[in-house]
Amino acid sequence: MKRLWTILTFVLLFSFVLSACAVPAAPAPGGEAAAPTGPRDFITWYQYDEKNEDPASDERVGNQYLRDTIPQFNEAFAGTWNWVNQPKAWDRMNAELVAAVQAGGDVPDLFEMGSSGLTELYKNGALQDLSEWAQAQPWYADMDPNALQACTGPDGGLYCIPIAERPHLVYVWNDRFPEGFPTTPEEYLAAGERLKADGLYAMTFFGSTDFNGNGATRAVFMTFSSFGGGYDDGAGNMLLNTPENVAAVEFLRTMVQSGYVPEIAFAGGFQEEEAFKDASAGSFPTGLFGYRYVNPLTAPNGTEYSKGNEEDMLDAIAAGDVILRPFVAPEGQTPGCNNEVTGFGIPVGAKTPEAAHDYINWIMTPVQNADWVLRPGAGFPALMTTRASEQFQTPFYQQAGEVVAASACRPWHGSLERRPEALRLIMGAVYRLIKEDPTADIAAVLQATQDEYNAGN
Amino acid sequence: MPSTSPPQTQTKKKRRERTRNLLPFWLILPTVLVLLAIQVYPAIYTIWLSLHERQPAGWEYVGVNNFTRLFNMGIFAESAGHTVVFLVGYTSLTLVLGFIIALLLNRKLKLSGLYVTLLFIPWIIADIIVGIVFRLLVVPDYGLLSGILQNPAIFPPNGISVLTAARPPSWVGGFPFPPAAAMVYLIMASAWRALPFITLLLLAAMQTVSTEVVESSRMDGANGWQVVRHIMIPLMLPTLVVALFSLTLGGMNGVGMVFSLTGGGPGSATEVLSYLLYVLGWSQLNFGRAAALALLIAVINWILILGTLRVTRVEERTH
Amino acid sequence: MFGISRRQWNTWLVNLALVVICFFALIPVATTVLISFKGERDIIRKPPNFFPCDTPERAFDPAACRWSVEGYQRVLSPKPSEGGLLPFALTGNIVRIYIPNSFLYAISTALIVVFLAGMSGYAFSRYRFRGRSALLFAILAITGVPLLTNLLALYQMGVTIRRAQLPFYDDRLFLIAVYTGFFLPLSVWIAKGFFDAIPRELEEAAVIDGCSPFSALLRISMPLALPGLMAIFLLTFVNVWNEFIAGYLLIARNELKPAMFGLYEFLGQNIINLQVIAAACILIALPIVILFVFARRSFFAAMVEGAIKG
Repeated sequence: MKRLWTILTFVLLFSFVLSACAVPAAPAPGGEAAAPTGPRDFITWYQYDEKNEDPASDERVGNQYLRDTIPQFNEAFAGTWNWVNQPKAWDRMNAELVAAVQAGGDVPDLFEMGSSGLTELYKNGALQDLSEWAQAQPWYADMDPNALQACTGPDGGLYCIPIAERPHLVYVWNDRFPEGFPTTPEEYLAAGERLKADGLYAMTFFGSTDFNGNGATRAVFMTFSSFGGGYDDGAGNMLLNTPENVAAVEFLRTMVQSGYVPEIAFAGGFQEEEAFKDASAGSFPTGLFGYRYVNPLTAPNGTEYSKGNEEDMLDAIAAGDVILRPFVAPEGQTPGCNNEVTGFGIPVGAKTPEAAHDYINWIMTPVQNADWVLRPGAGFPALMTTRASEQFQTPFYQQAGEVVAASACRPWHGSLERRPEALRLIMGAVYRLIKEDPTADIAAVLQATQDEYNAGN
Repeated sequence: MPSTSPPQTQTKKKRRERTRNLLPFWLILPTVLVLLAIQVYPAIYTIWLSLHERQPAGWEYVGVNNFTRLFNMGIFAESAGHTVVFLVGYTSLTLVLGFIIALLLNRKLKLSGLYVTLLFIPWIIADIIVGIVFRLLVVPDYGLLSGILQNPAIFPPNGISVLTAARPPSWVGGFPFPPAAAMVYLIMASAWRALPFITLLLLAAMQTVSTEVVESSRMDGANGWQVVRHIMIPLMLPTLVVALFSLTLGGMNGVGMVFSLTGGGPGSATEVLSYLLYVLGWSQLNFGRAAALALLIAVINWILILGTLRVTRVEERTH
Repeated sequence: MFGISRRQWNTWLVNLALVVICFFALIPVATTVLISFKGERDIIRKPPNFFPCDTPERAFDPAACRWSVEGYQRVLSPKPSEGGLLPFALTGNIVRIYIPNSFLYAISTALIVVFLAGMSGYAFSRYRFRGRSALLFAILAITGVPLLTNLLALYQMGVTIRRAQLPFYDDRLFLIAVYTGFFLPLSVWIAKGFFDAIPRELEEAAVIDGCSPFSALLRISMPLALPGLMAIFLLTFVNVWNEFIAGYLLIARNELKPAMFGLYEFLGQNIINLQVIAAACILIALPIVILFVFARRSFFAAMVEGAIKG
């Protein structure tokens, strides 16, 4: 028996040795060893993966966009550039980039970035200042100044090129609010009570602390700013303990504790969307880009929008089942919302920044610009001429435009510089106040939170 | 081989002596080199990091600033509390259940082999997968267990939603006890995975307790519990301590389960120190502060390792 | 009374208890299998139904079960192909890239660890030299540094090596080296324990018979230690296969991801796709479970050795 075991082991070990030798030989080293002649690689980091053809992937819209666009770019720049995309998870891209830059490692020539991550990347020395180059480009004068402002770093340099602006607003199932979507908190609460009687919910929102407190950029900021509050004092300090913010938290707490918000809003991931998809929740304050993800949909009247891509929400809006509205605001206040910019950054240490420059100029051409904004960008074009073009006059964009015009939108972070830390602190405090501990003293918790952040200034 | 022939064998013997003296050096060298590169150098780098902070221009020396800032974070004390609750729950649950199952297995059964094989499957599954598997069961509204747990008729008044239920009010000034449902569930999932290992460890120790001692005490009229209490537990004490330390060490450092099961939530209810380390370092990019926390965890780990070694030394001596 | 003694009763009760325990131990696994064979329609039901077998009339009708392989289809994404052995090719990243990668990492690391741990374990077991116990202790103590921050230094190290543009160098080699460093310390202790159990008289006899110490090691000790080395091999294999965080933080390219990292792709956050996640989990855990069932004795030996000594 023992002997048999020994022999078996030998055979196994031997075959393992063989297979270990055989496996690495198979996948030959790819692009790195490419010959110096011919087109050079232009490397990008996107949160999308053109090779992922899964029709139910989270990023199906962006994946398809890259699948369509990469050949177009390679054709337009045949012989010069060869676009190689490396997919990265959206919530890890900045961390990987910083690690790569600091280690002097393989950074892309261009990556997709949001204005929200700017200061952290800047502080870690990961971004190139693009102001000089950008100012020399013909499209620069056509840019929305607000978008450029969002890409400006603490030292005044331009650290990203904005392509799309993503304001936040409320997606509403029209039939759930027969008297129209509320405009004041009191009406919202009343609607909540009415819907609760039917086993429904007035609102779903990103209520969990998941993704490092990303929820604080969404409905929570909408509520704070609609009540006249915000997160900062304009001088880099966190300012949470104000009467406006306390009232905002009070309102959210009442919504949650009265059962007007489904439990799944706190489940993490993006599961809060489920309650809107099946219309069990009547409204969903989130980013404009939400339409790309929130599908398929079933309307309260049973109509199904089931293409499973970005068109579902656009169809539902065109049909009038879903309407877009500003958030509720107390008497005398303007609805607020978060407005971030998404676009491109060029990291320090990029091997072929010229390729990135060519790419950005290419994306600024009318057809490409509109396509980028409509699909991966999912927002309003930062280029004013694109914004005026026909594609952005659809019912969806008209409504969204009206909502944004009726709201006072601004970047959530204001003057705060340590943004990941701020998000986590704020969302943790809000979560505790509205969900976990409905008896906690709001002002005290908000004060403690801002103190903790400001101690690091 | 009779060694009568003179000088030639003499030098040969000497050479052999020398190679014999150098052999262990050559045998150990590759291991030491690998460990220096993959473990020692990063550890030293961690110490260096803990004293620096990143600025746009480069790394800046900040002394113990990272440590003081760490201690001033509200979440640090909270995570430490969660870690204590988690460790106590996890180790006690695993040890008690493991001991009972080992007791059951500690006799001649026809199917022992089958039982052990089946019981062992959880241990072989990756922690990240165990986390996902347990999460699937309690996904709010859609998980199979949620159908039962969230039913108000079974769990009044509102049913339990494991992944979103808020923490009950603390009994002792801010210390996270009683824990949130998610923490209890995290403990259960972790214990589920660790149980086979502990069972096997205890079973092996139990089998060294001589049956004669047990039999003779039974003759003296001791009942089952008394045998366990007065004979088995004292004799198995070293193994129990080793099991405890090894569970604590694993529980202290494991991040995969929290990562895939709760992500630290709801709120911060399951945020333990190891997960905080991950968050500080890799999602807030605050490597300096993360390194400070890593050193604290390392100190705890070293204490546990030292404890284990002591116990096993004592055991070796007494045997 | 009926010819059943108290002892037999006891045995029956113990068996019963163990069957119940096994049942509970396997429930999470069983439900995952169950979920993986549901269709989307049954996954997104509220409240969920245990078996997808209900009809409007009856709560459970075995004839009406809607079992589905949708989850597996999405993970494997079979596409028709011509000229291959099978009429279709599995194009899912999990089977095409990630699982082969995991095999490569696990096997290579395990072989290196067995080789290194075998050598140093032998030296620690057979020789008494200055600094021996200090070194043994240091090897153990080094595992006390949390992996997570080590990974930053390792990341930078990987980049530095990559920039040196060594011939044959590849990120895979680096990951294998990192895994080796992670799992080597405990293996050294386990190997030492196995060598301790082999009577040294055997080697001494061989040396007296004219073998050099090294060939005594190769010819006498190694074969005897083989079961132990096999155990180390298997344990390391499983550890590497199951490791997540290092692969997650060190590997940047999709083509080099190990399976545990690849799993991440299916944790969809915008779509409730429990069946897909379940199917992916099962496909990734299956090779290890099979390996374990066939080689469990070896695992048990290594585990007990590792726990008592380390």
